[in-house]
Amino acid sequence: MRRLFARFIVRPLLQEKLRTATTVIGVALGIAVVVAIQLTNASSVRGFERALETVAGKTAIEVVSSGAGLDETLLPSLGWLREYGGMSPIIEGSAALVIGDVKTLSRRQLEAVKILGVDILRDQPFRDYQLLEMADDKPEGLSPPVAEGLSPPVAEGLSPPVGTPPPDSVTTQKFLEILTDERSIVITEKLARRRGFEVGGTIRLMIGDRVRDYIVGGVLKDEGPARVLDGNFMLMDIAAAQLAFDRIGRIDRLEILLPEAADLDGSIAAIAARLPPGLSAQRPGRRGEQVETMLTAFHTNLTALSWIALIVGLFLVYNTVTISVVARREEIGTLRALGLSRAKVLALFLGEAAALAVAGIALGLGLARLLADVAVGMTSATVSTLYIATVAAPPDMASGHVWLAVAIGLPLSLLAAAVPAIEASRVPPTAAMRGHDTLEMRTRLRPVMLVAPLVVLALAYGLALLPAIGRRPMFGYASSFAIVIGASLLVPAIMFGLAALSRSTLRRRLGVEGLLAHANLTAAIPRLSISVAALSVSLSMMVAIAVMIGSFRETVVYWVGQTLQADLFIGPGIRPSVGSSQTVSEEVIAAVGAHPEVVALDRFRNVDLVYEGNLAVLGAGTFDVVLSHGTLLFKSPADARARLRQAIGQDAVIISEAFANRYGKQDGETLTLETPHGPMDFTVAAVFYDYASDRGVVVMDHGTFRRHYGDLPSSGVAAYLKDGADLERVRGEMLARLDEGHRAFIYSNRTLRTEVLRVFDSTFAITYALELIAIVVAMLGVAGTLLTLVLERRRELSLLRLTGADRRQVQRMVIIEAALIGAVSQGIGLAVGFALSMVLIYVINVQSFGWTIQFHVPLAFLVQATIVVIIATSIAGIYPARRAAQLVLTHDE
Amino acid sequence: MTNKVLRCLGAWVLGCGFGSGFGSGFGSGFVSGFVSGAIVNAQWKEAAVGYSFSFPRDHASHPDYKIEWWYYTGNVAAADGRRFGYQVTFFRVGIDAAPANPSRWAIRDLFMTHLAVSDLRGRRYRYAEKLTRGGPGLAGAATDQYHVWNEDWTAALDDRGRHVLRALDPQAGIDLVLDPGKPPAINGVGGISQKGAQAGNASHYYSLTRMPTRGTVTVDGERVEVTGHSWMDHEFGTSFLEPEQRGWDWLSIQLSDGRDLMLYQLRRSDGTRGGSRDPRSSGTVVAADGRTTHLANTDFTLTPGRRTFRSANGAVYPVEWTLAIPSQQIALQVTTPLDNQELDLGRSTGVAYWEGAIDVTGRSGGQPVSGRGYLEMTGYKGSLGRVLSGR
Repeated sequence: MRRLFARFIVRPLLQEKLRTATTVIGVALGIAVVVAIQLTNASSVRGFERALETVAGKTAIEVVSSGAGLDETLLPSLGWLREYGGMSPIIEGSAALVIGDVKTLSRRQLEAVKILGVDILRDQPFRDYQLLEMADDKPEGLSPPVAEGLSPPVAEGLSPPVGTPPPDSVTTQKFLEILTDERSIVITEKLARRRGFEVGGTIRLMIGDRVRDYIVGGVLKDEGPARVLDGNFMLMDIAAAQLAFDRIGRIDRLEILLPEAADLDGSIAAIAARLPPGLSAQRPGRRGEQVETMLTAFHTNLTALSWIALIVGLFLVYNTVTISVVARREEIGTLRALGLSRAKVLALFLGEAAALAVAGIALGLGLARLLADVAVGMTSATVSTLYIATVAAPPDMASGHVWLAVAIGLPLSLLAAAVPAIEASRVPPTAAMRGHDTLEMRTRLRPVMLVAPLVVLALAYGLALLPAIGRRPMFGYASSFAIVIGASLLVPAIMFGLAALSRSTLRRRLGVEGLLAHANLTAAIPRLSISVAALSVSLSMMVAIAVMIGSFRETVVYWVGQTLQADLFIGPGIRPSVGSSQTVSEEVIAAVGAHPEVVALDRFRNVDLVYEGNLAVLGAGTFDVVLSHGTLLFKSPADARARLRQAIGQDAVIISEAFANRYGKQDGETLTLETPHGPMDFTVAAVFYDYASDRGVVVMDHGTFRRHYGDLPSSGVAAYLKDGADLERVRGEMLARLDEGHRAFIYSNRTLRTEVLRVFDSTFAITYALELIAIVVAMLGVAGTLLTLVLERRRELSLLRLTGADRRQVQRMVIIEAALIGAVSQGIGLAVGFALSMVLIYVINVQSFGWTIQFHVPLAFLVQATIVVIIATSIAGIYPARRAAQLVLTHDE
Repeated sequence: MTNKVLRCLGAWVLGCGFGSGFGSGFGSGFVSGFVSGAIVNAQWKEAAVGYSFSFPRDHASHPDYKIEWWYYTGNVAAADGRRFGYQVTFFRVGIDAAPANPSRWAIRDLFMTHLAVSDLRGRRYRYAEKLTRGGPGLAGAATDQYHVWNEDWTAALDDRGRHVLRALDPQAGIDLVLDPGKPPAINGVGGISQKGAQAGNASHYYSLTRMPTRGTVTVDGERVEVTGHSWMDHEFGTSFLEPEQRGWDWLSIQLSDGRDLMLYQLRRSDGTRGGSRDPRSSGTVVAADGRTTHLANTDFTLTPGRRTFRSANGAVYPVEWTLAIPSQQIALQVTTPLDNQELDLGRSTGVAYWEGAIDVTGRSGGQPVSGRGYLEMTGYKGSLGRVLSGR
């Protein structure tokens, strides 16, 4: 059997290099994309979680507050927490390392760093901090007693002997010395090496809109938290950190270190029961889970997209095995006649699929790594722009990913090959006698052929009406899948129909080559359908996504135009993201507000809000300004503006559409939010459209916010100028008014709109990239199929040449065939794509993100895409065309 | 500046345990090793002659001075006669009198507390410490009333004028109420206790020498009801010790004839084993009625005996002493019921000192007397002066 497999399957595969290669590459690309997206998705969450774990150190429990951190004056009353273990108050924030000149600062010159502010006297047991011994770091001060007493090797900077406790005394002392200066900061060994920083040197940081110079007080060994963000980690004293992050009077969380034997869940429950209202106890990992949940919709969509490439790859397997079966029907008959059982024939062709799959998987895994780097580059921008600050490095491929590739690739390839393989096993021994033959294929359109696809399409419609399963639009995906399957099944019927309609047109327009091409393709419809279906599916996804994104973009453009009414927007240097609120300082607001052409300032503040265990956004805005400048688009109720006016000063909020959809809240209902004083009820005054965040946004008036959450620094400021003011000039003057220590980013209305769309476009860059891969795979399929057709038609082609056709005519004929395939596929793709885009816009998008998108057809893009596809398929036909033209010369059959 | 101050912290601990407040020695290291000493002097007030004490005001904190501590020791016993000793000291070390950073976590003072309980019959010595910044009220010392705290360890005056001490750790704990006993005894001359040759190297220092005590002590989780007598020192100042002052031996003794003694001798680093005696050594005799007599360096001798305790960390402490004050007709033999009463904080703050309960026997005014007290010995592990001078 092994020899038979080698001769009957492996040898032809090796001989038909191109077909084998396209199939293997197709499978490889499919596998690579799936694995790459897995890696990419993992990288954003894992990056965040790993940073979280590394920073958390030995922390078992953290006490957090709703709103912007805990009021630190609560701490003395939380002394009972010591019964459970050590306590350490923490300030954690993001800053940007400024490289180069501040005056001409752009975001490119900033490198993100994470800063932890701790009380080192309390924090030492929580995390592994090891100060790098400096060459000139002679023990002084406290060290002599230690040097003469306990452990001389430690004092000399050698590693302590096993079993000896680390020299905490020296370290704590040293840390205290280093950290108590508010300008002092400890950096990591990696960063010091990378940027050439030295102890005593100056580094410039931008935190919010404040630019400050810090003195490098010490260097942390590459251990524990120093490994966070690839060394972009800094340690500050808690007092210095409060000042730096403008969080005086608040701490971000209180961490608790339990004794090793302690019961974690029991302790959390016991602590939670004793905490005052507004505070809660959780594992540090909880924040990671919240971020994971937040990214779910984004990741699920990417995963779904990645599968398209795989499905297209599997079409190729189906294609190849089918061709293999068709081409060797006679030989199969001979084998059967010689006594080979049906099961063994089946096994032979499944073996072929398996061989292709294994080669594809092996190649795919190698490619996945490369693709992941590209994809991480593309998505990390999105993830960090829209969600969290993370480091853009894909995780290493684990054995899990290999198993994933094998587990997906192999069975699906076998499944794809099952149909032709079963057909092969049914070839009777008599086939050997009948001579060269084709598979018994349907060569005419029969009404029965329409039943299955129409049933499947009806099913697709039904599925689209079902609700999401926990924010995952599973039925939506199933519906899309059903549309794809249904349309694929319909492809032969469509092709027969088109063949009947187009014959005379082709003859008229493209002459005899056109007619011949038509005839060839019509004869090959059963075989071609598979390739056309594969290409159509890819193209339909492209169309669908283009329509969806185009619609979304139009909607956002309209929304931005309506809501961005202010003339200038002043924000901090770093975009706020989960867990790192960035603020604009009073000095900047004063400087900006003092400009003579400023008429009004509107401050806003965003904080992370945990609602039903998920991360949402809580914002404070000035309802008065919303009313006078009409800066929000309301969805409901009809008299939203009147409601908004009444809401001022009341415990009332407005919620974004995404929030309303996700949590099933409508205007007039009551919303219970966690506040620092415990849960409070708020009336939902109105629902507004918002496309800035899929997390869901709750906005309350400043007064209401201040009453419940305290007076917090602003996240941003919008400025309204006198009529006719020159925005760019005012912007320049405002920037010039800022002192050395402050550097705000000021956008004019127009540049912010551009920025919003830039963010929008970069968010969807990955989507286009995935699409492109799917189309490339489909092109490979077209080329492979055409080549097969050409090889099978050797005699016909030779005859054509003999009857007077020249090389160019043959080439032209094959290229016309290719272009026809492309045109037909694109035609089907457009139709199916519109259907899919409906599902994307009205089902999947609403269920995952909760956004209303106005349907909009990006006509120009679709026309361009259609032309590109036809040209591309024609190009895919060039190689088979050349082979076709050469055949006569090399074969004298 | 902060850094320099912190570097001296450990040294200061050694000093502060000393009843008479050598913690201030800390300051001298500062002056000798730091150019901008003037800034410190601008920030902190120095102890000066002519200070007049008033109570209960002076029990409370004096944040204008850099260093301050409240020190309690006592010999107590259970109803069944089990003897215990205890020590609890609340230290406040000023770091930056006016931090520029408005954060509550900015370190104005560091608060350090040492707690030790000696089970003299069970031969157990247990200790614990806390080192805390004030932060949002996690540790502090009130100025309007006597109330110092370090997390849940506290010392305060109750509404009946009694001193209430509470400090509990899993291994060691006290929960005691102390009557004031005799009126406060002001140590030194002219309201200051001079520690070094320079004028500013001094402290304001008073003692409550015989405080009837009742409450509980805890050792290894076992809580025992006790009664007995305690001694309190409260001392504040800004700069004290000098580089060549290596350490000291300090004693507090309550005699059976009603007299109480406080004595210290400073030791200099000058080649002799243990160091020679510094002329700034002094003491106070408190009569049964509370009247005080100052003892100058030449008024007493304090001589180590042969018996020593060798600590695991290498320090060797003399644990018997001979004391003579000819002008008061006092001659005493000092012994300890438990040799190992060393507080070794080498792993956290890097210091170690011996602080323990003692027994005395001898003659006073021609009559045989006995007594109890506490002995403190510092500078036996390395040279304090060397640490302070930063060399």
